[in-house]
Amino acid sequence: MSMSLDQPGIPLASAAAGAAGDPLQRIGELQPTLLRLARLQLRNAAWAEDAVSETLVAAVEGLARFDRRSGLDTWVVGILKHKIIDQFRRAGREVSLDAQQELSDGEDLDDLFQADGHRVTQPVPWGDPEGSLNRVEFFAVLQTCLDDLPAPLARAFLLREWMDFDTAEICKEMQVTSSNCFVMLYRARMRLRECLESRWFASDGPHSNG
Amino acid sequence: MARIFISCRHAHRLISGECDHALRWHQRVVLRLHLLGCDACSTVRRNFAFLSRATRRLGGNSDS
Repeated sequence: MSMSLDQPGIPLASAAAGAAGDPLQRIGELQPTLLRLARLQLRNAAWAEDAVSETLVAAVEGLARFDRRSGLDTWVVGILKHKIIDQFRRAGREVSLDAQQELSDGEDLDDLFQADGHRVTQPVPWGDPEGSLNRVEFFAVLQTCLDDLPAPLARAFLLREWMDFDTAEICKEMQVTSSNCFVMLYRARMRLRECLESRWFASDGPHSNG
Repeated sequence: MARIFISCRHAHRLISGECDHALRWHQRVVLRLHLLGCDACSTVRRNFAFLSRATRRLGGNSDS
């Protein structure tokens, strides 16, 4: 199956490398993907557009310095990550307030556990989930599950798992204490796990023919 | 003396924690003991690791 980068939920790494052809044109083609990633991480359409605009300008201006061995797509996404962090810092107060709100009002998913701390229901076995990593439909479900997270949880989780930040850096960007940082990452993982289980692994998702 | 036996709720928090930082010696021991006897928490631990790999792929990161 040929995969287009422009479709939502398509992992970037699975697309054609884009090494051949005009790099300027390729940078233009990446725009929808960059916007999708920026929206996922920032959870704010205006901030995402700003980050992507700045990325496109920086990529076009920096094209002369681009080292071809690193791959154009990877290089442009690397620029996007820097621009996303700039955007986080500009929006610092709002990001922090959202996080405080989630920490005071959000749920710890304690209804999964009995009073003695043991699980109410057993998790459904996921079988061999690795096969799902080759399925376009799986990434569409994962994207939906990430979109469904409260914004602060998605921001914290993606800073950790996509941007590769350590928790000290996440706490700093989101202006929360380290224990609150762990609470947000815990809630995000628990919700994502439940979401993938109900929308993919417990349904026909992994078994049907793509 | 610190507790040796922990609940699933406590174990889930440690499992998430180990995705983000090195657990302390005591935390590692109680989690290891808990996982030996708890299929549910062992499943959740594998699920969290998979979730990490899948998210990296979604964002175009290379597998690692």
